[in-house]
Amino acid sequence: MNVVVCVKQIPDPAAPPSLDPATNTLNRSGKLILDDSDAYGVEMALQLVDAAGGGEVTLVSMAPNGEVSGLRTALAMGAAKAILVSDDVLVGSDALGTAKVLAAAIRRAAPDLVLAATESTDGYTGTTPVQVAELLGFPSVTFAKKVEVSGSTVKVQRQTEAGFDEVESPLPAVVTVTAGVVEPRYPSFKGIMAAKSKPVETLTVADLGIDPSEVGATGARQAITSVTAAEARQSGEIVVDEGDAHERIIQFLEQLKVL
Amino acid sequence: MFEWSAEQLMVRDAVRAFVEKEVKPHVAELEHGDLLPYGIMRKLYTTFGMDQLARDRFARQLEARRRELAGAGAHQTPTDGGAPARQGDGGAAAMTLIPIIELCHYCPGIVTAMGVSIGLAAGTVLKRGTPAQMERWGLELATMEKIGAWAITEPGSGSDALGGMLASARRDGDGYLLNGSKTFITNGPYADTIVFYAKLDDGSDTPVRDRKVLTFVLDAGTPGLVQSPPFAKMGLHSSPTGELFLSDVRVGRDHLLGETEDEAGGGGRESAKDNFVQERAGVAAMALGVIEACLALSVDYARERTLWGQPIGDRQLVQLKLAKMEVARLNVANLVFRHIELSAAGKQLTLAEASAMKLYAAQTASEVAMEAVQLFGGNGYMSEFRVEQLARDAKVFQIYAGTDEIQVTHIAKALLGT
Ligand SMILES: Cc1cc2nc3c(=O)[nH]c(=O)nc-3n(C[C@H](O)[C@H](O)[C@H](O)COP(=O)(O)OP(=O)(O)OC[C@H]3O[C@@H](n4cnc5c(N)ncnc54)[C@H](O)[C@@H]3O)c2cc1C
Ligand SMILES: Cc1cc2nc3c(=O)[nH]c(=O)nc-3n(C[C@H](O)[C@H](O)[C@H](O)COP(=O)(O)OP(=O)(O)OC[C@H]3O[C@@H](n4cnc5c(N)ncnc54)[C@H](O)[C@@H]3O)c2cc1C
Repeated sequence: MNVVVCVKQIPDPAAPPSLDPATNTLNRSGKLILDDSDAYGVEMALQLVDAAGGGEVTLVSMAPNGEVSGLRTALAMGAAKAILVSDDVLVGSDALGTAKVLAAAIRRAAPDLVLAATESTDGYTGTTPVQVAELLGFPSVTFAKKVEVSGSTVKVQRQTEAGFDEVESPLPAVVTVTAGVVEPRYPSFKGIMAAKSKPVETLTVADLGIDPSEVGATGARQAITSVTAAEARQSGEIVVDEGDAHERIIQFLEQLKVL
Repeated sequence: MFEWSAEQLMVRDAVRAFVEKEVKPHVAELEHGDLLPYGIMRKLYTTFGMDQLARDRFARQLEARRRELAGAGAHQTPTDGGAPARQGDGGAAAMTLIPIIELCHYCPGIVTAMGVSIGLAAGTVLKRGTPAQMERWGLELATMEKIGAWAITEPGSGSDALGGMLASARRDGDGYLLNGSKTFITNGPYADTIVFYAKLDDGSDTPVRDRKVLTFVLDAGTPGLVQSPPFAKMGLHSSPTGELFLSDVRVGRDHLLGETEDEAGGGGRESAKDNFVQERAGVAAMALGVIEACLALSVDYARERTLWGQPIGDRQLVQLKLAKMEVARLNVANLVFRHIELSAAGKQLTLAEASAMKLYAAQTASEVAMEAVQLFGGNGYMSEFRVEQLARDAKVFQIYAGTDEIQVTHIAKALLGT
């Protein structure tokens, strides 16, 4: 079974983020790393291919400046190869533009199953994978907390507010996985050394046969009109117990109108 | 090399994530002796496939040793079973040193327990053992399925380890009778396999100082061998250190490493010295880990701690401390890089260079950690703030693997040609 995993390469969330004041978009010029959210998809894919007893995991990513650091991490975990779409005309793409690019790249890999995260860590619109599915004409199942493939069907436990739904879908399909669906492995040292020589195909928009006016800033149907800083979080109130703590907590909760 | 490569950074980041998740939450238990380090060490090995790498390397070493013995005849000295001596290691040294550095951000003790088991115990058996001995003890030590100790120091010797050694091996039928005691032995209380050094007592009147030193491999549980409980000590609490007592321990010749009394072959003096350079490079990497951690913690503290309405980092006396720590970090990192680069080129530090590196790195780590305690004020003296533990741990760098003073003698000897 062949599985494609969409992996987003993002600025290190541990480093302070910066916005481009002209476009209000995140500055992605520095080194990018594998989005933690996508490590779950990679692990899930590796386990599914293992369980199927054959096949391989292909990564698909769209990122600026030919960035491969995040891809190398996922290759070190055990993915076989990667397709990277990197092209200056993609600057300013919205989620739909991104989906068009990803869908075209995925089509080349002709997978049985496509995995993505429920939402990315930096943009987190959570809209890209379903748009990819629509463009590919594949069914999509979101919020998977358990994924199993048997024959040409994927069985998914789909996280809901109350518990989970059991869902089945024919393959090929797009499935988005939640954090915690599986425990991502650490790349082994051998895996890290092998990752360097695994194939990464770098493509442009033209290579994919996409009309450049459909993607990037020109194709975007969304624009960020303004950005405001989030309100600083108020520091909490510390209740020192002088025998009356329970009363003060009750008062506090009444004030919040939760009691 | 002047910085880590992209690949090395991947190794670093992966190990760093492991340390944050698997070591950091357990430091208190490790410090108080409620948790032995061996579970974490084994997990590190299996998680990153270091056990499999060791198995692959073992197969090559064994094959090379067999070929060497077949080609050269039984009297030839077995040497390192690895690739021809002067071939580069392709940067493999970094793969060993990066986990050492990362672990030392929190727990130099784990590194000591691991370094002794893998570097010294497994290293000695694989370098000097017969193929049968390599298979019997070397493989499981190299993969960390078994924990090893390496016992040379005695209550009456220490810096004068070889000359002052009193532990004795008397021929007894086709085997030996071993007697003596060892102290300060890392993993001594829990080791499965012990590399044990003793002087050959052949009944002649050769003065004890000049007798041959032989190396034996002992299994825990051998009658007459007692492994003491761990000592209480100043720092490095996560590395159990103890004593070994041997009274009339009878072993067959198959326990004599290399199965030869020939000093140049399996001989203990050579065997003990084999380890000096690697061990000293390892201590420099440990020192770098401690320095990096102390510097990072100190920078954060200098920014956050506010007095008279200003962060203490605004004070020049505090800035001086930080600047000196940064100088230390750069210098020790460069020494570590040099060692990696030399290994990659198939070269090795001389004993004097390794001693110089260890001397500088050990003293510097100790100083940096104590200055970090100072910068943290009262908090620095409290266990909660990590620099307290690192300062106690770093002190041992100046004592084991040859004291500072012994490093000085090795450097001076080379400089003066004496
Ligand atoms: C309002 C808005 C602001 C934006 N701001 C910026 C910006 O500042 N800078 C900029 O460069 N772009 C920006 N974009 C584009 C945005 O980064 C892309 O649309 C992005 O690829 C998808 O959005 P997301 O991060 O919300 O993905 P989500 O829909 O949350 O992602 C879900 C999953 O889809 C997959 N996926 C998503 N994107 C990719 C990818 N590129 N490669 C591989 N897999 C992927 C991953 O598995 C991911 O976890 C913006 C888009 C919008 C709508
Ligand atoms: C935590 C820990 C773990 C250890 N693990 C092991 C282990 O696994 N296996 C093992 O075999 N040993 C181990 N050791 C022992 C260690 O190698 C010795 O402690 C060390 O070699 C010093 O010997 P000593 O303690 O007997 O000190 P001594 O040799 O008695 O030294 C006392 C002082 O005299 C100084 N001195 C000695 N000789 C000279 C000289 N020629 N010129 C100037 N000054 C001199 C020393 O530098 C020191 O300051 C360990 C020690 C510690 C603390």
